[in-house]
Amino acid sequence: MADIEIEIDGKMVGAKAGEMLITVTDREGVSVPRFCYHKKLSVAASCRMCLVDVEGAPKPQPACSTPVNEGMKVYTQNGKAKASQKAVMEFLLINHPLDCPICDQGGECELQDVAVEYGSDVSRFSEGKRIVPDSDIGALIQTDMTRCIHCTRCVRFGLEIAGMMEMGGTGRGEHLKIEPFLKDGIQSELSGNMIDVCPVGALTSKPFRYELRSWQMHSMPSVARHDLVGSNLFVQTYKGKVKRVVSADNDWVNETWISDRDRFSYEGLTHENRLLEPQIKVQGQWKQVSWKVALNYAIKGLNSHVLKHQKANQLGGLASSTATMEELYLLKKILTEVGCDNIDHRLNVKNLNNTIAFDSNIKLDALEKIDYALIVGANIRLEQPMINHRLRKATKKGADVDALNVMTFDFNYPLNTQNITAPNKIASTLAGVLKSIMTSNVQELPDYLANVEVDEVANNIASKLLNSNSSVIILGEHIVNNEDASTIASLITQIAHNANSKTLNLSITANTIAANLVGFVPQNSGMDVNTMLAFDMRGFILLDIYPQYDFHDLDAAVKAFTPEDTFVISLNSFKDDIVAGYSDVILPIASIYETSGTQLNINNDMQSYMAAVKAPDEVKPAWKVLKVMADLLELPGFHYADSTQVVAEISHQSYVKHIHDECINLTSKHNGVSTIWQSSPYSIDVVLRHSSALQKTKIGQINSACMNPASAETLGLSANDKYLGVPVVITSTVADDCVFINANHATHIQEQV
Amino acid sequence: MISIDAKKQIDAWIAKYPKDRKSSAVMQALKIVQAENENNLSADTIQAVADYLDMPGIAAQEVATFYENYNHKKVGKHVIRFCHNISCMLNGADDLIAHLENKLGVQTGKVTPNGFISVKKVECLGACVGAPMFQINDDYFENLTADKIDQIVDNLK
Repeated sequence: MADIEIEIDGKMVGAKAGEMLITVTDREGVSVPRFCYHKKLSVAASCRMCLVDVEGAPKPQPACSTPVNEGMKVYTQNGKAKASQKAVMEFLLINHPLDCPICDQGGECELQDVAVEYGSDVSRFSEGKRIVPDSDIGALIQTDMTRCIHCTRCVRFGLEIAGMMEMGGTGRGEHLKIEPFLKDGIQSELSGNMIDVCPVGALTSKPFRYELRSWQMHSMPSVARHDLVGSNLFVQTYKGKVKRVVSADNDWVNETWISDRDRFSYEGLTHENRLLEPQIKVQGQWKQVSWKVALNYAIKGLNSHVLKHQKANQLGGLASSTATMEELYLLKKILTEVGCDNIDHRLNVKNLNNTIAFDSNIKLDALEKIDYALIVGANIRLEQPMINHRLRKATKKGADVDALNVMTFDFNYPLNTQNITAPNKIASTLAGVLKSIMTSNVQELPDYLANVEVDEVANNIASKLLNSNSSVIILGEHIVNNEDASTIASLITQIAHNANSKTLNLSITANTIAANLVGFVPQNSGMDVNTMLAFDMRGFILLDIYPQYDFHDLDAAVKAFTPEDTFVISLNSFKDDIVAGYSDVILPIASIYETSGTQLNINNDMQSYMAAVKAPDEVKPAWKVLKVMADLLELPGFHYADSTQVVAEISHQSYVKHIHDECINLTSKHNGVSTIWQSSPYSIDVVLRHSSALQKTKIGQINSACMNPASAETLGLSANDKYLGVPVVITSTVADDCVFINANHATHIQEQV
Repeated sequence: MISIDAKKQIDAWIAKYPKDRKSSAVMQALKIVQAENENNLSADTIQAVADYLDMPGIAAQEVATFYENYNHKKVGKHVIRFCHNISCMLNGADDLIAHLENKLGVQTGKVTPNGFISVKKVECLGACVGAPMFQINDDYFENLTADKIDQIVDNLK
């Protein structure tokens, strides 16, 4: 595209031939009013608000759909342009109610802003206005469709971005309404963005309804902490409370969208289950005490149970991977300073000798340029919505996607093939892919591939990978506890190496990349989490852990933490009966948006953020708590004034990467039905579990143990039964020998059955 | 939901469009399915058509609610679609609609109690040259007058 020059309001500006006039005016800071145009959506040119005068054109032209040409002369402010804009404004206001005082959009309404500038003081319309009935479209979005001006941004958002067209324009002429078809409400995991794109008050946030005006709130930039992307957002606060979260633009990370999970999780912060005061357990009774007393009690306990007896090797530190990088680093530093090497964050991994050592080497913006993707073991749309969005963009440009999953999942783009494979067959299928690739490349086959059979599925995937110029292999969460996890990861590494593919590790989430960077794993010959739980430990420091959700084996965890002579210091943000059962001290720590911190995302961007609100009551940011604990333990090197100094220290250190041996073992024969337990997408961390609106959505209520009829027969289950406390769903979409559980409640219910 | 026979008819229409544009057949498919279901479309039948054509339900619903030839509730044996757009309106459509309503004893949008005739006010049917006009089932009747309407309606079987 050639560079050209055009004239806007008498000023010469550069442009690219063929781009739309409105992109040029936006870039140049020339204000052109618009409603239907949105930079990330297709051009509808339906509102006509952006009419401008183009010299030589008999009628005013819509800037959003007028391509620029060399020498074009545009007037955005002359009589003709102004008159057209004013006329369009008058039409748009004919049916728009004058209910701004009770409209949630008031103060941040595009229609209101433009009306002030282009509207008339007096309405000439004395006929009756139309009224459109509202439909209940779910727990997240409030509708007031009488206010709708039919810009169709929400319709186009559904079709083009969310990948599921849920809203549509039904009827015709004056009877046109924007509404969803089925009464089930909106199902998309990105639906909240419709609130952001709606230029009027037709779609507003339901949890935020009638709360505040936008100008009353402070807006703090922050980072979402529920997935591997770390979407950028603004946290809007009022009198020290988070009132709303909206997306922030960052093309490198989340473009302009955020997932519903990131948008509505803030509701959990004000849940009545928040832990607000430090507590100590004295003779089996919990007492609320001051920080000073609690910390002294904690340090005394730590000294008397562990340190005094030189038993640092019987102390353990475990953390949730949702913690900030600073928290993980400081806890690790305390532990190593007192001589403890037993550190781990991989709480949900059954067999730590069989782990996924696997690096991502593709960035988010490169992901949308790939031409082939192989997804292994992920329901990627719900587990990593923003990464799935990038993949979807790639498919729109023609990329093929194959899935190798244990059951059929809903994708919002067409898959090339969705191969339903039993958990114990995934490794052999991938070995077949590797063999097929190496055979095509005329390479010498390693011994372990000698007896591998290459089926059609493997051949197809292999040829796709070989014929692709930029492919990616995605490893998902469902593999974490697969009996062949490390073999699968190694095979993928080999396949990627031989087919020149990139790899993406989605088997981890939240801040796990930071936990790995700061080395929050066993040091030297320290114990891993499962060894600690089986060992006779004297003390634990636990960072925001809720065992019934975080550990794969709740019983083992509770058993390890409970003994009288095991001193447990828990730093938690929410109350929990099981935590209260085994802890000796519980320290209330800040949750999301209440602490400064750093998130390391899949791009390896170190995204630091400030606290948006002060933590409630006696709650303190965990990094400060850990710093004071270190001071009380009289450990050197903890003179931090704020958390940025911690980050600076982390960046100055080099970390040894744990290199795992390539272990490919295709001989293991595990038969029988295997269970894959996943928390449902809105139950993966403690804040989400307390976010009431999210829990009311369809995704929030996912709670099923899916199995095919043969597995159900093997297990002796029928459709009304429960399996491990989760309602059984019998469907032939699940692979043989597999139960796929997506549960929105704690695993401890399985113990009661 | 869609009979085998209807599917055959729809397939014939799908075959007229490029392979990845199955949804182009939506208007005909809705028409075929409507004919099978007592001349009206329910939300479920619209969804079934959408599923058959690999398109979102709401997209089929948009089409089904845009055009006047789809019915969304029970209609009579004969459906009179009375145009009330500009040409017909200027030529007295409103009075004629009132006349028809009086004659049948039924309001537009409703069915006569015996289920024989329903009347709908519709947008332009593209026959302005013969305004005022209406359509009964698949036939157009133009240059209407009160007498002519009486005659046409009385002759319906």
